[in-house]
This record gives sequence, structure tokens and C-alpha cells, in this order.
Amino acid sequence: MSASQIAECVRDGETPLGPARSALVAISEAESGPEALNAFVSLNPESALTGASSGLLAGVPVAIKDNLATTDLPTTCGSKILDGHVFPFEATVVRRLREAGGVIVGKTNLDEFAMGSSTENSAFGPTLNPHDRDRVPGGSSGGSAAAVAAGYTPIALGSDTGGSVRQPASFCGVVGIKPTYGRVSRYGLVAFASSLDQVGTFGRTVRDASLALEVISGHDPRDSTSVQREVPDFSGAGERGVAGLRIGVPDEYLPAALDPGVRRLINEALERLVDRGAVVSRVSLPHTNYAIPTYYVLAPAEASSNLARYDGARFGVRGEGRDIGDMYRATRDAFGKEVKRRIMLGTYVLSAGYYDEYYGTAQRARGLIAQDFEAVFKDVDVLFTPTAPTPAFNLGENTDDPVAMYLSDVFTVTANLAGIPGMSVPIGELGGLPVGGQFLAPWWEEQTMIAAAGALEASFAEEST
Amino acid sequence: MSVDPQDVARVASLAHISLSADEVEHLTGELNRILEHVDGLRGLELAELSDLTPQIRTPLPSTRSAEREERDRLTVTLESFAPDVRDGFFVVPPPPGLEQEDSK
Repeated sequence: MSASQIAECVRDGETPLGPARSALVAISEAESGPEALNAFVSLNPESALTGASSGLLAGVPVAIKDNLATTDLPTTCGSKILDGHVFPFEATVVRRLREAGGVIVGKTNLDEFAMGSSTENSAFGPTLNPHDRDRVPGGSSGGSAAAVAAGYTPIALGSDTGGSVRQPASFCGVVGIKPTYGRVSRYGLVAFASSLDQVGTFGRTVRDASLALEVISGHDPRDSTSVQREVPDFSGAGERGVAGLRIGVPDEYLPAALDPGVRRLINEALERLVDRGAVVSRVSLPHTNYAIPTYYVLAPAEASSNLARYDGARFGVRGEGRDIGDMYRATRDAFGKEVKRRIMLGTYVLSAGYYDEYYGTAQRARGLIAQDFEAVFKDVDVLFTPTAPTPAFNLGENTDDPVAMYLSDVFTVTANLAGIPGMSVPIGELGGLPVGGQFLAPWWEEQTMIAAAGALEASFAEEST
Repeated sequence: MSVDPQDVARVASLAHISLSADEVEHLTGELNRILEHVDGLRGLELAELSDLTPQIRTPLPSTRSAEREERDRLTVTLESFAPDVRDGFFVVPPPPGLEQEDSK
């Protein structure tokens, strides 16, 4: 059942905790058997479940990425350094889900501190793709995407710093939304790169992912980047249709080297949108090729600052040492390989003599990427691109090649650099593996991309009936 | 721009990360691969551009609601809530055996 259907049943009198209890039983059985996906880091015991019989998400089981603070379960960020750590406060998005009647069933696996594109960098082992257990679910919110794709919960929360909701949504065949920077509170989201981080939602349908977004959106005085704006009717936007909608297809997102199967599915999806009244045109975002180098200066720079707090003195695990310097180093030995790599890179680009060479340059390049979007959105309402260059890759395929891993985010990082909203929606399969198409919209125009995604979803649904 | 093992060891020290000699060697290669990719930014004409993030350069619409926001307690004067204040300091009762100083 979809989240909307569950909420309707509960509002009509079904036991509020019934669906979550059933979900917990199903998750426990599946995750302890031979087909386990390792999607969850922790599960709430049945006795700790709380829900409500009213609200937009009345009784809906929800999975939460394990970098969002909860007071009833540990928040580990997939890291040994926060193993077992329980926050004394709750993330605003989690509180809003509960207030809307949602039932938190567990915390999902992720790349350590959300740094990765495959969920292989977790201290608690990799999550597997429900469509092919030899493949990655994408990352860093791979646990949430896998949980929704496997049918464990109808919706889940993730975080998206460079594509960490949209890319796993594409790899797992579900819908994933990254809102405009400032739309959703980051209070209680463990910081990775603060100028890029946003909380996002997963759902099996456009309506469910949009409904979850509607619930968690809105101003929060606890987050100074949260914006005072009315929250539109996201959950109903998917039914608006696309008649007359101007859709731009950026040339830079369909390079010659793109997987031909992905290109074919993108073209077929565009034909469906045209059939429903959309007007498609080719556009250009000329600085797209600079997005990955820009991102991989800025994100590690911010990460190295944000992760400086994990020193053993304040919270989390503490290593043993003869003096305070030894203690810091022993504590930080708990970081995994990718986190250490990014802290090293970030510290280097911020260090004396290199700051302007790297960080200043990347900040200026970021401005150009944002200007590209400003210019193109004068002519089109929404952009359509592949979410990722390929379907899900094999476990271990890119772990020894950080640049190859980083390039899997080539179509998603631009939205984070510019602060615009983006979402991934399934557009077909290649060799049994799902492929996602990405809609990008102007700042604060989530409802436009949701309308386009809803029309595409409806087109596929009509075909299958 | 590239790094050598001495650079990597120095950065590790700044970041409070301990690395074995093998790890320094391995990370030197990896960081150089990444930096080689990042060097692609050198082709851009950037001199005239701001280095502020787009969100900061173009202020976001009103991020605070004046009518809903509580006044910051640090912006009110000490006199408005303290029993006695002198030269910006709170006046407290004298320790036993000492007399209260004149208020002025």
C-alpha cells in the first residue's frame, strides 16, 4: 500500500501502529535471512513505536537515514566514531514526521557521514541493491532507497549533498526528491557540507515522495538557512499535468560517451512528455563539466571543518593517548578510508598558500554554474536529464578509484552547487536494473518538477494497465 | 599542482589524522589523481567573479518572521532584568565580614 492509502485507512479507524508492526516483522524476517540487504543500522522495538490516528501520515511506517538525529535510536552516521551515540534532541524533520502521524521504524544505512555514492563506505557493511544483490544501491542514502524499493516502508528520508537521494533513487527504481536549499530544516541533520546539504525524501510513487516533502518542509527558527515561505501543495502537484510545460534538455547531460541504453530511455521518456502536451527544446549549461572538480573542492573543504568536532573530547568514542594530540589522533583513527581521504583533501585545499588556488577558484566556478541555471530558466520551466550516467554498478567496482566513483554524481552535483531542487523518477530498466530520469526546477519551484514527474509516472502506469 | 609524501604528512598532522608510511604513499597517489581532475578549473576565466556562494551573494527571501521571532535575550540591557548593575557588572551581596560598597 502507498503512504497515502495507509494514512487514509488509519484515519478511517485502523489501528495506528498496525502497519508499522507489520513492517517491523517483515523487515526483521527479511534482514535476518539469506536475502538480507543490510538496509537498516537499527530498528525500533515494537514497544517503542509511536504514531497517531490523524495527520497526513497517520500510521505510515517511515525509515530515517542514520545521519538524522533521533532520541529513541542511536544516530551513527555509519561511522565507528559515533557507534551507539544517542542525540539528546531530535531533528526537526523527524519531529514533523511524528507530528503528522508517521511511525519511525528504524534508521537506515549510509556511506559514512554521507560521503560516498554506493553505501559501501559504511562501518556497518554495504547495503545491497534489491534488484540485484551483487550491485550497489547507490549512495549515500542507499539504505533508505533500498528500504523503499524492497517494500519495507512506503517512504523514507535521506540527505542529498551531491546527489545522495537522487542517485540511489535511480539505482533502486524509486522516486527521490532533493528540495531547494532552505526549503527543509537541517536542524538535527549531521553536517557534511553545510552549504550543500539538504534533507530529501524517497517514495515508491511521486505522490508519496511529495507527501513526505510537504510534511517536512517549512521554516524552522532553529536553522538559520531555513526560509520563511509558504509550503505549496506538493502532494497534489503530481496530478497537474504538463500541457504547455516547457522542458529543456541540456546537451551537456547527454554526452557522446553516455550509456546508449540510458540515452534511449531518456528519449522515450521525452516522447511520453510530448504526448501529454509538453514542449521540449535543447538547451545548454556550458559550465557543467566544471561541476565535479568544483564540488570535490568545496564539499571536502566544508567536511574537513565540520568533522573537526570529532576529537574524542566532546561526544562519540574516545581513543587512548599519552597527551591530547595523541588522544585526538587515536579517536580519529575510527574514521573510514573515504572520510579520511576527504578530510585530507579538504584540509589541503584550505591550508595556507592553497586556499585561493583551490577554494576561492571553486567558489567562483560555483557562481558560474548557478548563473547557467539562472539563464536557462528564463526560457524553460524545468530541465530533464539522466539522473546517473549508468544503472547500478557492481559492488567493489569503483572502490579503488575515487575519481570514477565521484563521476557517478556528474549529473546531480550541479543542483546542490546552485541550490535548486531536483528529483529522480524511474523511466525504465536496462538488463533488469532500474534507470532514473532527473527533473531540475528553478529555486522554490518544486511543484513544477513534481508535476512533470507525475505526468511521466502516469504515462507508464497507463501503459501497464 | 601536485602533492608529495611530505605534504601529505603535514596535512595529516593539521587534520589530526595518523597515517602509516604505506598510507601516506597511497594517499599521495590518490590525492594527486583528484587534484589533477580539480586542475580542470584552471581553464575558467574567473577574475571578475565573486567567491561568495550563490545563496550568500543573492540573499534568500526573508529568512525570519519578525512577528514570530523572539527577541534575542542578549540584545536587552542588563538594567532591564538585573536587580543592580554598576559599570556593566552585576552587583552581588558582599562576602561575609565586608560591607557593601557605595553604589556610586
